[in-house]
Amino acid sequence: MPLMPKRVKHRKSQRGRIRGEATRGNTVVFGDFGLQAEQPGWISAQTIEAGRIAAQQYIRNEGRLYIRIFPHRSVTSIPLETRMGKGKGEPDYWAAVVKPGTILYEISGVSEDAARICLRRLAHKMPVRVRMVKRRGL
Amino acid sequence: MSSESLEVMPRELTGTAECRRMRRQGLVPAVLYGHGEECVNLVAKREAVEAVVRHGSVFVELHGAVTSGAVIRELQWDTFGTRPLHIDFVRASKSERVHVKVPLDMKGESPGHRNGGVVTLVVHELELECTPDAIPDHLHAVINDLDVGGSIKVSDLQLPEGARVLADADEVLVTCVRPGEKGSAEEEESASEPEVIGRKPAEDGEGAE
Repeated sequence: MPLMPKRVKHRKSQRGRIRGEATRGNTVVFGDFGLQAEQPGWISAQTIEAGRIAAQQYIRNEGRLYIRIFPHRSVTSIPLETRMGKGKGEPDYWAAVVKPGTILYEISGVSEDAARICLRRLAHKMPVRVRMVKRRGL
Repeated sequence: MSSESLEVMPRELTGTAECRRMRRQGLVPAVLYGHGEECVNLVAKREAVEAVVRHGSVFVELHGAVTSGAVIRELQWDTFGTRPLHIDFVRASKSERVHVKVPLDMKGESPGHRNGGVVTLVVHELELECTPDAIPDHLHAVINDLDVGGSIKVSDLQLPEGARVLADADEVLVTCVRPGEKGSAEEEESASEPEVIGRKPAEDGEGAE
């Protein structure tokens, strides 16, 4: 089941623009290695789940995967072959708004080589350019 | 941990724009304070700062604009964690006991891991009180005897001479659990759409335009 909020204040939201870089959620906190976005974008709940499955299938029960993003924003769409007007469409899916620098996933309990392979598999699912980062000491 | 020496220059210009200009020139703004003395604005070469960070030194001997021992209290990084933006130094002498955060890692091979458990490092860094000479690079949690269901606590750590951990002795650092035990938070039956705050359920059918 893809992620989605339990309660929301409004069912639909305006699209907005993704400006600037991530000032929060841009460091590896829970794991040893992370996957950091280099581009802004919306990552749908389905994509987050696809990434989780791709990583989980590789690490099996070895390590632990942390998902650092959550799809808070509803994305609406209108049915095909609908005439113009008649208002905004209905919520179609949920997406996480990602700024450059955001850590998307973290992984712990595996070697660096295994983490690299795992995150590479995961990166193929992502709609934004990503890179692997390590936990920083200082 | 060996102490590094770092050359610093005086900095008279302050403010966001000036600091940005300095960073473009390959410099890193810094500030030195502590011991009830005056706060000094400094600047250091980025390569030198990166070398200090690479070597994992927390205690540095500053020379140039000031001559003093100092502990790196805070190091700010850019969004991608590739360039240091600013350093906070706190004055410290070699005989003085200082508080520093030291990374924790696991050492050895856990029998619990071989028996199908997942070994998790719960705490990644610990705050130590020790003299600058005794600051270790890492603290090691030895997991050679860690079996499934076991844990390693602060009291099990081997600390360097004269160091004291500023954490509860019962605080758990490493755990070993069977997969599925911990993450057994059952997935609730989630509705296809979230509840809208302030809207009565009856309204949904008729009132949603």
